[in-house]
Amino acid sequence: MIVMRRFRNLPVTLRVPLITAALMIVLALVASQSVLGALDRVQDARLSETARLHVEGLSVALGPSVLRQDVWEVYDILDRARLASDGQRLLLTVVADERGRVLAATDPHRAPVGVEAAAFGDGAVAPEAVRMTGDPVLRVTSPLQYQGRTIGGIVTELDVTDLLAERRQVTLWLLFGNALATGVLAFGGWLAVARILRPVGAQVQAMDASGGAPRPIPHAEIPHGDPGLARLIETYNQMTTAVEERAEAERRLADRERFVSLGRLSSALAHEVNNPLGGLLNAADTIRTYADRPDVVRQSAELMQRGLGHLRDVTRAMLDQNRLDRAGQPLRPEDFEDLRLLFEPEALSRNLALAWEVGAGAAALASQPAAPVRQITLNLLLNAGAAAGKDGQVGLRVSNGGDRLSIAVSNTGSAMGEADLKRLLASGPLPPGGGVGLRLVHDIVSGLGGSLHHDRAEGRTVIRVDLPATGPDHA
Amino acid sequence: MHTRRSAILAGAAFCAAPLVLAQGTTPFRFALTPVFLDNDAAVISALRAALGEAMGREIELVQRRTYQEITGALLDGSVDAAWTCGYPYLQHRDQLSLLGVPVWRGAPLYQSYLIVAADDGATSLADLKSGAHAFSDPDSNSGYLVTASDLARMGTTPDNFFSRSIFTYGHRNVVRAVAGGLTRSGSVDGYVWEVLNSVEPGLTARTRVISRSEDLGFPPFVARTDRMAEAGVAACSKALQGLVQSNTGRDVLRLLFLDAVVSADPALFDGIALRMAALAGG
Repeated sequence: MIVMRRFRNLPVTLRVPLITAALMIVLALVASQSVLGALDRVQDARLSETARLHVEGLSVALGPSVLRQDVWEVYDILDRARLASDGQRLLLTVVADERGRVLAATDPHRAPVGVEAAAFGDGAVAPEAVRMTGDPVLRVTSPLQYQGRTIGGIVTELDVTDLLAERRQVTLWLLFGNALATGVLAFGGWLAVARILRPVGAQVQAMDASGGAPRPIPHAEIPHGDPGLARLIETYNQMTTAVEERAEAERRLADRERFVSLGRLSSALAHEVNNPLGGLLNAADTIRTYADRPDVVRQSAELMQRGLGHLRDVTRAMLDQNRLDRAGQPLRPEDFEDLRLLFEPEALSRNLALAWEVGAGAAALASQPAAPVRQITLNLLLNAGAAAGKDGQVGLRVSNGGDRLSIAVSNTGSAMGEADLKRLLASGPLPPGGGVGLRLVHDIVSGLGGSLHHDRAEGRTVIRVDLPATGPDHA
Repeated sequence: MHTRRSAILAGAAFCAAPLVLAQGTTPFRFALTPVFLDNDAAVISALRAALGEAMGREIELVQRRTYQEITGALLDGSVDAAWTCGYPYLQHRDQLSLLGVPVWRGAPLYQSYLIVAADDGATSLADLKSGAHAFSDPDSNSGYLVTASDLARMGTTPDNFFSRSIFTYGHRNVVRAVAGGLTRSGSVDGYVWEVLNSVEPGLTARTRVISRSEDLGFPPFVARTDRMAEAGVAACSKALQGLVQSNTGRDVLRLLFLDAVVSADPALFDGIALRMAALAGG
């Protein structure tokens, strides 16, 4: 199982030659088996023929002597036959009489005259049925026929050591030859397949090269000889362009989102700007009317200063939210003051109770970049405000513990829908409909290496963002 | 001397030429048995050449398996002369006469050997009881009569004494049977065993001689007594006894490891006669 999994993890340029080699080995085994099978048949036929000729020849020569029970004649014939065959193949030949007793044998020490011949016939087969069994000594038996009747029997022990050695040698040569051929062909296969699959390897490298930002394959590297592969790579190149365009679009969308969130605040902010304007105009009118009364002028001027100060703070917060030159700046407690300033009018317009608690110190905040955290928090606050509805409650709690900064935004509104949760928590494709604010939060948090947590308890929805400390203090 | 004899022989051959041609249609038939040395082609052709040269006529060498066949052929006239054994000669003493007796190691005598396998512990005939025994021929002196008469003197017979006795019809075969383990012991012609010991030491080395008989008359060349006066038979006797004088004859003698063929008195075979009496008496 593990081997299979590891095999599957191997690059395709290695897997295909390995499969080729495996197939070659299977082919070599089948071929070897067939050669050995043919050799077996040849050897069996040879053996059977030797045994048959031997027994038949002896039958003819021995007939009269066996009939006369002439021990010497039988021995003489066997002995001369043994000498004639150099004793290479025929180890022992035993001739038995009608009663199954040894009449004579080539080796009387092993088979003395007169003993039971049955013991020598153990495992013996007819000459035409003799087969190589792996045993170096095979036994053949045949009845001794003379003038149409059975007058005794012959048992012969055949030495097949040479045939076994031949078979062993052929097996070794086959093994060696096949191993060599398989090795050469597997190597050739690897070369060929590696060459064929080089464009695929290049594509895999291009995909892996810059960590999730696929790089297109240069036109020169496209194998135009292989239409299938060429089309595959061209399609891949088109996809890389599409991915780049999508990333660009997302980047633009993220930029725009900042304006979008401000846009969502605009009416509240307009109020915020408009309210002091009435007072400021009144104060200006008072100054003009009572220009000779220094105390009134001073009082009105102070009033104007406070109003203008407020306007300055609001515009600064708005500017800060959109200033690109602040990118890379560390987060400060003032950033949360700005967010409160931006969100408070929205809260007022909905008559929301705001629970604002920034517990993390300046040092803990400084480990995070200001712009993305502000964006995350503002988006979450705006969503919480919208979810809380009229007279609801919205809370912000910024705390630090261990090596991370936690920003929890809560509201007392209804629970989040499945589509919204998917936008916020999952990385899959965006469900149709709805804005991109929550997904932007998800993407920014992912980019910062943090995590998002959703909790719904006692009629309160809490979204918590945990960001790891990555700032200069923790680098 | 040599030259002179050659000239005489050449002259004789010249004078005998018409006779050779006249008798060419009926070759002289001489019987041999493989009891001595297995049908050694060299010995046979040399013997034929030597006798043919000496007798001035074609020789037909007839080979038979047993002494009985040879004796039968000799008596019924199908062969003119034969090299046989002292025992069948004595069995038909009244019908057969000696043409000559080979001389081996200086005397027309030989012994019968009792042999066992080289690793056998037996030391005498008595130790061989209940073993299988190989004889060469029931009509052979050294290959049967000696052992059978010894057993008769012990009050027994081969069939009772041995578990099994076989006839191999050849002294060399007796040695093969004992060397190969077919039988435990064998009765063999001492002359044949010694010759084999020179030419086939590998075979005799697998056997061991445990007893030797007394010296007995060497297997003789014989012919029917009533034909002894025939020119062919007389010429054969002369040719045999003259082998030592010709090159071809000496070749034969050398091949047979014999010194010569000499005339002999029937009394040479008295030892065999004694054993025959012992066997008949037992």
